[in-house]
Amino acid sequence: MTVKRIAFLKQLLEFSGVDPERLLLKWVSSAEGPRYAKVVTEFIEKIRSLGPSPLGKAELARKAG
Amino acid sequence: MIEQVTAHVKTLLEEGKINAFLGLRDQNGNIFPYVYEKPEDLSDGFSIGDLEGPGDSRYPIAKILMTLVSSVPDKVVGVLLRGCDERALNELLRWNQMTQTDRIVRVGIACPAALAKAHECRKPFPDEFVAGEKAEPVSNASVDEVMALDLLARLDYWKQEFNRCIKCYGCRDVCPVCFCNVCTLEEDALIRTGELPPENPMFHLTRAVHMAGRCIDCNLCTEVCPAEIPLRTLYKKVAEIVKGEFGYVTGEPGGGKSPLNILGPDPGHTSAND
Repeated sequence: MTVKRIAFLKQLLEFSGVDPERLLLKWVSSAEGPRYAKVVTEFIEKIRSLGPSPLGKAELARKAG
Repeated sequence: MIEQVTAHVKTLLEEGKINAFLGLRDQNGNIFPYVYEKPEDLSDGFSIGDLEGPGDSRYPIAKILMTLVSSVPDKVVGVLLRGCDERALNELLRWNQMTQTDRIVRVGIACPAALAKAHECRKPFPDEFVAGEKAEPVSNASVDEVMALDLLARLDYWKQEFNRCIKCYGCRDVCPVCFCNVCTLEEDALIRTGELPPENPMFHLTRAVHMAGRCIDCNLCTEVCPAEIPLRTLYKKVAEIVKGEFGYVTGEPGGGKSPLNILGPDPGHTSAND
């Protein structure tokens, strides 16, 4: 169900003007500590490279000036 | 057109094929849904929703039928259906909101071309109808127009549109396929309540997610919206995604289940991992 929802949501986000790359779904078992760290670190790097979210509070405040 | 419908319904009632008929009634220029139980009642204001023009008074009649069939468990009920109403009924059946199809008798009417055009209707006629003629389906280009904008412009577009929302819940209340007893849109933990406009864009995107595999594209939400938010464009895209991703088309007859109504993967969606 989640896989289906995320596949759908990514496209809805794109249509609404939010980069779908900001959404990630991964399955990580509780026995996979190193993998968990890797997945999260990689995603953080990706989000950093995308810059602040256009929906974030800081960005909204900046826009409102 | 109304004469044919009246005669047909009258025969059904007289022959006892139905115990009641859910249609519309015109009283002093006000059209509203009404349950007819006797053939003679049909001569008093029976309407198919034509006030000033054909079909300018539409209602989510399939949702009203849902309440009706559950409140009169021993009756066979006839119902007036346009193309959109039939899609809504089919979808409600697929979502198990009604089960006893043998207690529902469909009386279809086909919409004239002008009405189909006004609502950019994808199928302005039910599969079977007793009056009217098949008009050509009308396409809608609004989704492509929004997609032609770049990403940030799209966000600005939607935020501006959603910013006018007065949170009247009209879109939800009129929706023929909004049948939940408890609504996410009123849950403070999920979407902040007591704010105007409602949390933008979360409020409307949440509703859009809930329209996935449900919206039958009747245009009632957009028609009732006092802020003229192009909700339909949003839900049209939702339908497009569901069709493209899962091959599911809403409103069709048969027992197919919406991909978001069943657990488990869909072909091609077996794992999120690489």
